Amino acid sequence: MPAWLRTGIAAVALLAVAHPARAQTYPALHPIPKTTDAAELRRAALDREVSERFRLGIAALARGDWHAAAAEFTRIVTIDPREPKGSTARYDLGIAQANLNDDVAAAKSFAAAIALDPGFLAARANLVVVQMRAGDVAAARGSADALIARAPLSARARYVRGLVALRAGDAATAKEDFGALLERDPKYATARYDLALAELDLGRTADAERELRSALELAPTYSRARFALGTVLLRSGHRDEARAAFDDVARTSQDLTLRNLASSMREAIGPR
Amino acid sequence: MPQSLVRWAILVGVVVLTLAGFGLARASVGELAALRLVPSAAPTLLGPILETGRTGWECAPERAASAARVRAAELPDDAGP
Repeated sequence: MPAWLRTGIAAVALLAVAHPARAQTYPALHPIPKTTDAAELRRAALDREVSERFRLGIAALARGDWHAAAAEFTRIVTIDPREPKGSTARYDLGIAQANLNDDVAAAKSFAAAIALDPGFLAARANLVVVQMRAGDVAAARGSADALIARAPLSARARYVRGLVALRAGDAATAKEDFGALLERDPKYATARYDLALAELDLGRTADAERELRSALELAPTYSRARFALGTVLLRSGHRDEARAAFDDVARTSQDLTLRNLASSMREAIGPR
Repeated sequence: MPQSLVRWAILVGVVVLTLAGFGLARASVGELAALRLVPSAAPTLLGPILETGRTGWECAPERAASAARVRAAELPDDAGP
C-alpha cells in the first residue's frame, strides 16, 4: 500500500473518532469569569452556589433526607435563578415538602414552578396529586383540567382527572377519562375498575359488572375489583354469586380492611 | 293479670323481636351493598429534576408527564390481591 494511501486512511479514521468526541464536549456549566467587575463576580458566585445546592438537594432527596433537601431548594428559590432553574428548584422543593407531609406548601411550590414555566407538565401532574392528598378536590379538578388542556394525550393527565372527577361525583367526566385511557391501554385493569365505579355512579350496573369482570380476567387476584363485583351482584339480587365473591376476598386479599369488610358482607348475606 | 294474657304478650314480643331482627339483618345487607366504593390510589409523585435536567437533556419526569401510554406514565398498578 502506498504511503500516501496509508496517510489518507489514517486521517479519515482520526476524523471519524474525533467527530463524536467533539459532539460530547458541552460548554462548562460555570465558565471562569474573565472580569474584575464586582457585580458580575457576585453573579458568578451565586450561579456556583445554585449548582452546589442543587447537587446537595438532589442527593438529600435520593437518601430521603427531606428536611435537608427542603433547606437547599428553599435557598435556591431565595436566590431566584433564571429559568429553567427557578422553576426546577420550586418543583424539587415541592417534592421535599410533599414527603414532609406538607401538601399545602408543596402545592404552593408546584404552582410557583408552573407560574414561571406554564409548560412544565411534571409540575402540573404533581400539583394535582398533592391537591388530592390535601383533600382540595375543587383545586385538584382545576389543575387536572389545565393539565389535560396542555397535554390531551397524557395518560397521567387522564388518570388523575378521572380520579378527581370520581371523588367530586362527576361520573360522566370520569367515564370519559378512563375510557380514553383504555382506548390506548385496554389491558390496564386498574382503569377498568375505576371505569366500573363511574358506570355505577351513572346507574349503569350491567356496564359496571362487565368492566369488573374484564378487570378480573386481566388480573384474577385483583381483590378490590372482586369486592366491587360482589357489591354489584348484591345490588342486582345475585346473593349467591355475591357471597362467593366476598368469600374469595375474605380468604385471599392481602388488604386487612378489605378482608374484614368482605367477611362482614359475607356474614350479612347469610348462609345459602 | 290473667295467665293467658301473659302468654299472648310473650308470644307477640317474640314475634316482634324476630321480625325486627330479620329487618335489621336485611337493612344491614342493603346498607352494605350501597356502600361507596373507593377509587384507585393516586399516582406517586414524579421524581426530582437535576439543575441541568430541563435544558436540552432527556428529562424522565417530563417524559412521564406527557407519555400517552400507561407504563411510560408511571401509573399505579392496583390490580393485586
